[in-house]
Amino acid sequence: MRSALPLIRVQRRLEVPRRVSAAVSAVFILLSFAVAALIFELMGVSSIATFGVIASVFTNPNLLLQAILRGLPIGLAALGLSIAFRMNFWNIGAEGQLYMGMFAATGVVLLHEYQGLIAEPLVIVFMVLASFVAGGLYCALSAALKAKMGVNEVLTTLMLNYVAILFVDFLVYGPWRDPKGFNFPLSIQFPDYARLGFVMGSPSYEGLAMLLVVAFLVYGLMRHTTLGFEMRVVGESPEVAKHAGISYAKALIIGGFISGGLAGIAGFSVVSGIIGRLRPRASPGYGYTAIIVAFLALLNPWLIIPASIFFGGLIVAGDLIQASLKLPFAAVQIFQSIIFLFIIAGEFMKRYRIIVSWR
Amino acid sequence: MRGGDSREILVEMRGITKRFPNVLANDRVDFTLLRGEVHALLGENGAGKTTLMNILYGLYRLDEGEIRIKGRRVNIRSPRDAIRNGIGMVHQQFRLIPTHTVAENVILGLKEAGFYLNYSDINERLREIISFYGWNISPSARVWQLSAGEKQQVELLKALYRKADILILDEPTSVLTPQETTQLFATLRKMAGEGLGIILISHKLDEVMQVSDRVTVMRRGRVVATKPTRETNPNELANLMVGRPLITSFERLNKPSEKPILRVENLHVLDDKGLPAVRGVSFTIRRGEILGIAGVTGNGQQELAETIAGIRKAVSGKIILDDMDVTNKGSMFMIRQGVAYIPAESSKCVAYQMSVAENLVMKSFRYEPFSKSIVIDWNSIKQHAERLIDAFSIVTPSPNTRAGNLSGGNIQRLILARELTGLPGSSAPKLIIATYPTRGLDVAATEFVRRTLIQNRDQGAAILLVSEDLEEIMMLSDRIAVMYRGEIVGVLEQREFDVEVIGMMMTGAKRGEAA
Repeated sequence: MRSALPLIRVQRRLEVPRRVSAAVSAVFILLSFAVAALIFELMGVSSIATFGVIASVFTNPNLLLQAILRGLPIGLAALGLSIAFRMNFWNIGAEGQLYMGMFAATGVVLLHEYQGLIAEPLVIVFMVLASFVAGGLYCALSAALKAKMGVNEVLTTLMLNYVAILFVDFLVYGPWRDPKGFNFPLSIQFPDYARLGFVMGSPSYEGLAMLLVVAFLVYGLMRHTTLGFEMRVVGESPEVAKHAGISYAKALIIGGFISGGLAGIAGFSVVSGIIGRLRPRASPGYGYTAIIVAFLALLNPWLIIPASIFFGGLIVAGDLIQASLKLPFAAVQIFQSIIFLFIIAGEFMKRYRIIVSWR
Repeated sequence: MRGGDSREILVEMRGITKRFPNVLANDRVDFTLLRGEVHALLGENGAGKTTLMNILYGLYRLDEGEIRIKGRRVNIRSPRDAIRNGIGMVHQQFRLIPTHTVAENVILGLKEAGFYLNYSDINERLREIISFYGWNISPSARVWQLSAGEKQQVELLKALYRKADILILDEPTSVLTPQETTQLFATLRKMAGEGLGIILISHKLDEVMQVSDRVTVMRRGRVVATKPTRETNPNELANLMVGRPLITSFERLNKPSEKPILRVENLHVLDDKGLPAVRGVSFTIRRGEILGIAGVTGNGQQELAETIAGIRKAVSGKIILDDMDVTNKGSMFMIRQGVAYIPAESSKCVAYQMSVAENLVMKSFRYEPFSKSIVIDWNSIKQHAERLIDAFSIVTPSPNTRAGNLSGGNIQRLILARELTGLPGSSAPKLIIATYPTRGLDVAATEFVRRTLIQNRDQGAAILLVSEDLEEIMMLSDRIAVMYRGEIVGVLEQREFDVEVIGMMMTGAKRGEAA
């Protein structure tokens, strides 16, 4: 019996040669550009002009500094996630941990402004520490639930995101609202000494330095310390860890704390480096983009830096496209999403081959 | 059911070549299977026998060569193609869904069953096959309720229901009791009598001698001989397989001392589901003695071993090591006391994504010289790895190779190397808990593991050996305790060892009844 439809079969590749892997990635990134170009054309904008704008972000030095600044929270959160993912701890909660970091950093500023508790030059130091601890504890909560009671971390970290976002909403709509702010839901503006860039003059320079230092620390932690060794074993399997006399719970909770802590510092970088105050929805999803960045960089701390700057650049390009080409911001989000989708589809194509036959 | 010329060639594989990165897994292999024969494919792990069969079953694609099925040239690109050509395969690990019934498992993935499932027809055909082979399973039983031997029958049922006449069995006896093995062999003979062609992948010589009509021996990707089984003998086959004669018995140099190293008293342990797994077990192992624990898998041996290794908590009872109560002290404590544990599954103690060197220090990385305070010293870890790779003849491209890339036998060598070396500065292990240490290993690797255990015994280690392989347990042990449903049904001294008796005790018969 001859069928009119082709027979499509999906077959698993048992071996994935490196050449296939690289070729598939390249083809899929090009494909994503092609599809994005098609969408830009359908919206009545020249795709060449659009890609020109996107490219300019990475060639124009001033715009590149902007890209680094917007990439900073993404990169910090992604560095944290790379630790969690290496432990097989699927932390989807960088966004919430980032909001807890923003809350803690802002809290330090308010303590200084209203209570005068902290000396001026120490404010920024305490902001970093407080945001690390806040994000860290928030993530350690999910890690402890997983380690002690077997609660799935994907659910807890994801749901705690909403708790954190709404908690920050509550603060800026309520007790932390700027009394001189005409009733807008904003905290007070941070003083200069609470702003990133206070030392080197540009938040981008300090941000890049921060990224490099944190990447170095994460690399050193995972590669050159006994704690990192334990965390990598835990990532292999809890049973192997137990066999080797490693405490699964301890490694998971400490690793979760550091992972969330770095997302917390990402939150600090948003309020201190980018906005200069706390406001509702201060993060347009840096914590979620960080998940993609961590995977795109294969959990390698050094590759996370360029990957996060690339995605920071896309955000900057989005602003430019809105302004110069009169495209809605959604168009840029579509572009980003297409890149994500094609990266994921590419991963599938690396593992499976598709066979179409007529019979 | 089936007839035809019994000399018809069912499968003809010619000049099969398969390359993996850096390895020539099959090198111009020729293989034929006749209708009505049991054809054993004998070889060590890594000899290429499973690769060859995976090619026939469509799991791998051949690089060169051709396959003819019943004289017709075929291109097998997937298991689906293989099934269409009448090929069935029973893998070492069963591919069954435990919560489904036997019938559901059989028709799973079968397009011909259609959208609407007529279970009464399906069950009827299944019952016909089951009663023909004299099995004792019901099509409506849930798979999780079945024993290993019965699960294997379901796998055979799958192939028979699909009207396969070429059947590949990969190490089918590795999970069976002696009685189940006997039954399987009777089934295979009957199938061959029905005109099926059966390929039996194995590395056990006695089985090959017992059940096969012809045997093909492979070594390092090549066929070294194909012979009618009655024209050969185990010694010749071993020589062909390994390339040298084997050690089959071990001399005892010194008697075990009287000093007990391990005392287990009235131990009770629960399994993962919280049900009693070990129920009041007591025994002693002396210095330089091997106590074998025989029993069908799942009768509490695993839980017993894990509890002594400090990985699982005991509910009650005592574990006394060298006059010290070590009950529920945790795995780190036991490691420090010099307890080595070789788990049944390497996945429970080997980090496949991590390197060979990292795996070799997995228990000792916290100690000098491998780390100072919290900083790891990669140089000394690498040197340590190179020493052990050499001492235990682990075949690996480098210490930095991922452990998951090693063959089964080399992974087992890696585990032995780590477990038997002990922590830096301490002596050899006091107590070795070895569970199924040679399961799935080829002849040379098995010999190596056994020799290493014997060496450790002679150096004064107490060894708890859990195994299903009665031949192995009788060869190595000084005493054998048989476990059934979490209890020890009896302990045999070396002069009382007898396969039949132990086999009976494994099914719960007390000693008196068994003998």
